[in-house]
Amino acid sequence: MVTEIKQVKQVLTSGIKPIWCAGCGDFGVQAALVKALTDLGIDRSNVVLVSGIGCSSAMPHPFSTYGVHSLHGRLLPVASGLKLANDDLTVIGTGGDGDGYGIGVGHLIHTARRNIDMTYIVMNNEIYGLTTGQASPTSFIGAKTKSTPFGDIENPLNPIALALSAGATYVARAFSGDPMHMAEMIKNGIQHKGFAIIDVFSPCVTFNNVNTYDWYRPRVYKLEQAGHDSSDISKAMEKALETDKTKWEKIPIGLFYKTQKPVYSEMDITLKNGPLIKQPDPDKTKINSILEEYL
Amino acid sequence: MSSVTIRIAAANGDGVESSGALLIKVATRNGFQVFGYRGYQSIIRGGHVWYQIRLSDGKLHSHGDGIDILIALNQDAIKNQKSHLNDNAVVIYDPSKTNVTELDSNRYRLTPIPLLDIAVKQSGDPIMRNVAAIGAALGFIGIDIKVFDDVIRKMFGRKGDKVVNDNINVATAGYNSPGVTKAFDIKGDGKQRYSMDGNSAFAFGAYTSGCKFYAAYPMTPASGILQWFAQHQDKGVLFKQTEDEIAAINMAIGAASAGVRAMCGTSGGGFSLMVEGLGLAGMLEVPLVVAESQRTGPSTGLPTKTEQADLLFVMHSSQGEFPRIVMAPRSVEECFYVGKEALNLAERYQCPVVVMLDLFLSEHVESVDGFDFDSIGIDRGKVAAPNPNGGRFKRYELSADGISPRSFPGMPGLEFVSPSDEHNEYGDLVSDALSGIDEHVEMRRKMHSKRMSKIDTMLMNEKCFFPEVSNEGADHFLMTFGSTAQPATEAIGMLNEAGLNVGLITFKYLMPLDQEKTKQILSGKKIIDVECNYTAQLAYVVKANTGMDITDRILKYDGEAITPGEIAMQAADIIKKQK
Repeated sequence: MVTEIKQVKQVLTSGIKPIWCAGCGDFGVQAALVKALTDLGIDRSNVVLVSGIGCSSAMPHPFSTYGVHSLHGRLLPVASGLKLANDDLTVIGTGGDGDGYGIGVGHLIHTARRNIDMTYIVMNNEIYGLTTGQASPTSFIGAKTKSTPFGDIENPLNPIALALSAGATYVARAFSGDPMHMAEMIKNGIQHKGFAIIDVFSPCVTFNNVNTYDWYRPRVYKLEQAGHDSSDISKAMEKALETDKTKWEKIPIGLFYKTQKPVYSEMDITLKNGPLIKQPDPDKTKINSILEEYL
Repeated sequence: MSSVTIRIAAANGDGVESSGALLIKVATRNGFQVFGYRGYQSIIRGGHVWYQIRLSDGKLHSHGDGIDILIALNQDAIKNQKSHLNDNAVVIYDPSKTNVTELDSNRYRLTPIPLLDIAVKQSGDPIMRNVAAIGAALGFIGIDIKVFDDVIRKMFGRKGDKVVNDNINVATAGYNSPGVTKAFDIKGDGKQRYSMDGNSAFAFGAYTSGCKFYAAYPMTPASGILQWFAQHQDKGVLFKQTEDEIAAINMAIGAASAGVRAMCGTSGGGFSLMVEGLGLAGMLEVPLVVAESQRTGPSTGLPTKTEQADLLFVMHSSQGEFPRIVMAPRSVEECFYVGKEALNLAERYQCPVVVMLDLFLSEHVESVDGFDFDSIGIDRGKVAAPNPNGGRFKRYELSADGISPRSFPGMPGLEFVSPSDEHNEYGDLVSDALSGIDEHVEMRRKMHSKRMSKIDTMLMNEKCFFPEVSNEGADHFLMTFGSTAQPATEAIGMLNEAGLNVGLITFKYLMPLDQEKTKQILSGKKIIDVECNYTAQLAYVVKANTGMDITDRILKYDGEAITPGEIAMQAADIIKKQK
């Protein structure tokens, strides 16, 4: 969403306190999102934060923007409906790994391939926090959780590789331990015209004692500083698989891939005429021409 | 009123559907009223399919009980259709492909026509034999072949002269075949009518009322609605085919939250996937129209057959409680108006409205005189005024009638979060960390009561949530809902002709019901419940709402559409016992 960004002074907080534990990675995401929206100066009445269910899906409440706190796994269809109905809106999805990579993973693939112009932030803590600590689709093999007391035996899903293969046109990763970098990733994602996904390592301080801030810090490095060519999908895929290759010793964050493709609203025959909400109801001529088909 | 019933029967791929559609166009153009219903299977080639088209000089309510003209395009057609033939029925067949030795030539008018020869000679295309048969059928009914020419030019004009001329030449040769003469005393009134199926009428009605968004995953028999919106995307309505029905309903909820009129649709299996989303619409108080076109059975069932067995499921789908409206249009024409009305009700009461169709209603074609586009205006319900004092907007204000003004993203000063959790007037959660604390316990009670009080508001304001009665003074009544109202209407004509004074009670609205008024309407009447399911679900609804037990029942659940003759015959037996 690059059009019509004008600086407005506004308070972005609603005064509602999030439910997160002290030290939760989601606070870092909140701070980064506030900074991104403030820097971009998008009118808060044109912003819709759409979440699913899970700790991270509480994200819209502390904001004074519009928001929909929807069902578990269904934030992308709800967000898609909002954006398809009103293309003038800045629509940002905020959910977790269980929400987006587990129960809702089908929607991720299809929303990415549609290239709907919106931003999706996935707070990935490799655990189900709100349900008090069961394995998630990104939990590591061997992870001992309430649902895998003998160790997780399923391969973790690779969200970056999945997003790339599904056709996402902006694929990035951030870490809650570096909110300033994350704010850049989010800001660029919002400004990107197309479907942008930002996978965020957002540590759960209560139920995941493996993937902690201290575990991440020595392992993460920034692609921007490593000479990565983010316009090359093969190189992006290579970087996406680096965590598998190095057994998580080296974890790239930053922009993996960015490309420009026509967005859904430029291709859709109805939306070519402008935002749906601004289109008039059918007049008598249109109605009668349809009726004629049935003669 | 007199009528002629034609059934074209063949294998999939023989052009049964297109020749049926052609015959319907020709008949309506000739001033006949029509009613067409297809019997088909979930296969693309082969098998056995038929299209039954009934023509009449008066309003029709069903595709009829027996066949007057059978177009048998293969041997299976003779075998499978002979039990449906009326006495003196005309049987059009090609002697080179089909033998009719199993049919009694004294009882039926067996008419051999070299359909294949005609098709090949006149067009070079053997598939055109069905057009030769249509030509012959027109001759038996006495429809001027010139009308056929006009229709063909309109339907196929853009495909070029060869297609048009081939069709006309083949049909004319069939029409002029030896043995083809006018055999039925019937004449159209010359009035021009439209022919449409229930799915198209519903979609068209919604479109004329400003429906801007339709999301769906393909599923018979709701796919016709999907195709209607797909075909008319260039006329200011967005159609989205989704990855599944879960996405369809949630996208429609997103679109409705943004402020456009939005719908989704499916059959029972897809509706099963939509159920959680239905509850979301209830909780968020988002206006949403869902079409549920029923087919036979649970699971995959009979995908191409009809039933009315999803009523209780739809009424009770989703966990928890929330207001919803369930409607069941009773004819193709009513599908159009229900499309308009459902959108108004959804926005007026900010709740889901489920429109119950079934394969019979979705897919049968009826002639209609036309529509009154202005009879139902557009009511967008309560929309918030600008918020001058700058405080936080109370989207879920505890209003006296339960309806709180909506705002849409983009409206400055009216921002709020729409939450699937229980919430307060601002949309802040009272779940999680706050649940169980006294003031939030109280808020849950108040907010749930607010939502539920919309049911009282509906009942008070709308004055429609009760059954309709025709022939109030009758001795006996058939009672039904949705599409079965049509064959029941015709059955009543038969019963009355047989000297019985029978009236009709039909439910267009199933939920909510005005219990007092419904009880008052049904009280003191001898009632026979007629529905297409095993468990008499309408009778269950009536009992739950009125305490009245309707124990005389006519129930059909074999997948085929119930016919007037079936209803009349069973009703006559029951009436004998009721006396």
